[in-house]
Amino acid sequence: MGAETQESASAAGGRTVRARAADLTDQPLTALAVAVFWAWLVVRWTNDFLLDGSLAPRGTSFFPTAPIEFAASTLSGVAADLGVFGLPFRWLAGLVGFVAASVPYLPELATGVWVTVLLTVSGIAFGFVIAVPLSIARVYGGTITRSVALAYTELFRGTPLLAQLFVLYFATPLSIYIRELPAVGTGFVPAQAFWVAVVAFTLNSAAYQSEYIRSALNSVPEGQLTAARSIGLSKVEGIRHVVLPQGLRYAIPGWSNELVYLIKYSSLASFITVRELFEQADAIASETYRYTELFVLAGLLYLALVVSASLLMDAVERYVAIPGLGTSGR
Amino acid sequence: MHAFPLQSDWAFVLGSLDLLFEGLVVTVALTAASIALGFLLGFPAGAVEVYGRGPLASIVETAGVVLRGTPLLVIIIILFFVVSVSSSAFVTAAVALGLRSGAYQSQIFRGALQSVDEGQLEAARSVGMGRLQAIRHVVVPQALRRSVPGFQNEFTIVLKDTSIAIVIGLGELLTVGQNLYQGGQSTAALEIFLTVSLIYFVLTFTTNRTLDYVDDHFTIPGGEQA
Amino acid sequence: MSDPLLRLDDVYKSYGDERVLSGVSFEMETGDVDVVIGPSGSGKSTMLRCVNRLTEIDSGAIYLDGDCVTDADTDVNELRKQVGMVFQDFNLFAHLTALGNVTLGLRKVRGMEKSAAREKGYEHLEQVGLLDQADSYPAELSGGQKQRVGIARALAMDPKLLLFDEPTSALDPELVGEVVDVMRDLAAEGITMLVVSHEMGFARSAASDIVFLDGGEIVEHGPPEQLFENPRADRTREFLGRLRTEHEEG
Repeated sequence: MGAETQESASAAGGRTVRARAADLTDQPLTALAVAVFWAWLVVRWTNDFLLDGSLAPRGTSFFPTAPIEFAASTLSGVAADLGVFGLPFRWLAGLVGFVAASVPYLPELATGVWVTVLLTVSGIAFGFVIAVPLSIARVYGGTITRSVALAYTELFRGTPLLAQLFVLYFATPLSIYIRELPAVGTGFVPAQAFWVAVVAFTLNSAAYQSEYIRSALNSVPEGQLTAARSIGLSKVEGIRHVVLPQGLRYAIPGWSNELVYLIKYSSLASFITVRELFEQADAIASETYRYTELFVLAGLLYLALVVSASLLMDAVERYVAIPGLGTSGR
Repeated sequence: MHAFPLQSDWAFVLGSLDLLFEGLVVTVALTAASIALGFLLGFPAGAVEVYGRGPLASIVETAGVVLRGTPLLVIIIILFFVVSVSSSAFVTAAVALGLRSGAYQSQIFRGALQSVDEGQLEAARSVGMGRLQAIRHVVVPQALRRSVPGFQNEFTIVLKDTSIAIVIGLGELLTVGQNLYQGGQSTAALEIFLTVSLIYFVLTFTTNRTLDYVDDHFTIPGGEQA
Repeated sequence: MSDPLLRLDDVYKSYGDERVLSGVSFEMETGDVDVVIGPSGSGKSTMLRCVNRLTEIDSGAIYLDGDCVTDADTDVNELRKQVGMVFQDFNLFAHLTALGNVTLGLRKVRGMEKSAAREKGYEHLEQVGLLDQADSYPAELSGGQKQRVGIARALAMDPKLLLFDEPTSALDPELVGEVVDVMRDLAAEGITMLVVSHEMGFARSAASDIVFLDGGEIVEHGPPEQLFENPRADRTREFLGRLRTEHEEG
């Protein structure tokens, strides 16, 4: 009973949250900003990781700060001349000054964004692989498989992700095992803490995703499986070819919600030393004492990632839409 | 750090139950304060999103998008280092969690308000109520009942996310666990963090069951569910 | 003498305390079109669903072409390849086009190549007069069209026997005709059909036999002219009387 109401609630929550983001993503300006954001990221990553800094040395911004600083000081000069009426100019000067102070940190934060994206994508993808059998066990399994799957989801959804990270990182030998694997921590391959975080996000996300998929599977009418069986498909084939293709479409809103959730919660990996976006910002801030610029910048970059994810999932939803099936019809 | 006598790891955890209990109290208090603040912000914000017009509506909407699109960790840090809301870690964490929860609660109430049939408002107007009266006496009571399941979900999310207040050193449950591990007995990591997780689980579980009961209690017989 | 195509031998079925079928025995030959009538709750649909084992019987046996299909070790998927079914509420696969609905079984159960399956799919859509709707999704079809796709889907598996579970009762009255016409065509082509339906027009013109089921028992079984014009049992007469009154009123 409890799980039922909770799951319907989270599904409803997912829709409303995303509907809001969709309002934002409807605006062409947002689409343009997201396009610029990703163009910058891709050029930055290509330059840093593949071209060995041939466009601009690693850690050096593409954008010169001097002209921006000059603009800022000019604006504040204008503001001073205008006296009381210069207030808008003073704000503008502050804004441009913020940009000037932020630009030098962008390259290092871009590296953090790369790790954040990797964490999120792996967590979602590997989590999905576990979530599908988990949700099928919940809907179609026998008493034992059903309760094992239920226990799994309740435990992972009932405890904080941060506590799960701590258990895996501090209290199990997982990171020692991973450290001894070949290539871990050399070249492209991140160090063990990253992999521990991937394991934690995978296990956690599997629990949430399985709830979304389970409620989606339940919303596929029973007659669909009956009809599949009546033409000679086995139960597994019927689930595979008839129930899942429909259920997974119903699950898209929940799934988008989970993607946004994971982007934001991937910041918790900083607690186990993973150099993702937040950790990167925090590390630079404690060196430079530029807390305002770095944390506001980090927040903006997360926001850009979240808006991108909503935009992407809207496109996915449109792409796989089938008349009479899915969110628009319900 | 004072040294603990060497003892078995489970005995160490048992011996630290009083500290864990103090952490638990902070966690529960922080959850309650955050949910309450979130309600105070979120309920009017939801109403503004449904019935509001003009700049107020767009400010509320934009604030919501920003708060829902930024990690809680970043919100806490900005409130602590940049805005410096308060020198108290508890107040800072409660404001951060409350702001973010308000942004989500506004969506729960918005959805619930919108789910109340258009005809309800018309019917109320037709018996002579004003628009505000109709919203206040007919739409809101139905919407509040319908928002219980969403509220339940939000409650457990806030409860779990109080653990993130560890970043500003607030002595909540997970911080106590972390201190026991780092400053106490490092061999007891598994025992400590499993115990901490178990306490969280019991908290979310009982919260869910309690709110299930509340939901059943307030359900209108035959009334459609949100 | 060869075996009948379908034989039910003393079939019993209960749901909890409620007995739905009590000792049903019945035979039909290849090419027969048998129509099962009876008051609601008389066990008609259960009898149908027992034949392709969507419902399991409690005791007795069912034979298809001489093979017992109610043994525990019968491969139900093998059985269902040979027995097609058309549902009251269509149950079209909502994520597939009309053609996709017809070809799914061909590809995944029969293992046909995509192009061969498509060709056969088009053939059967043409058979039910829906070639032009091949690319439509179920939500884009009318009820009558949906049911005709449902029939094409069952036909495509080349079943020995086609089961119809009240195929027209979920349809608006003006859409019943198109489905009944298709069923009549199939009967004329010699397809073996076991039909639960109260479409009297179809029963009179196309059925080889009528089965009257009441309270889980076969009360009467015979050719339509005999059963409709000259029923032997009082229960049959009473039921037919009621049916006619409803028909005239409706």
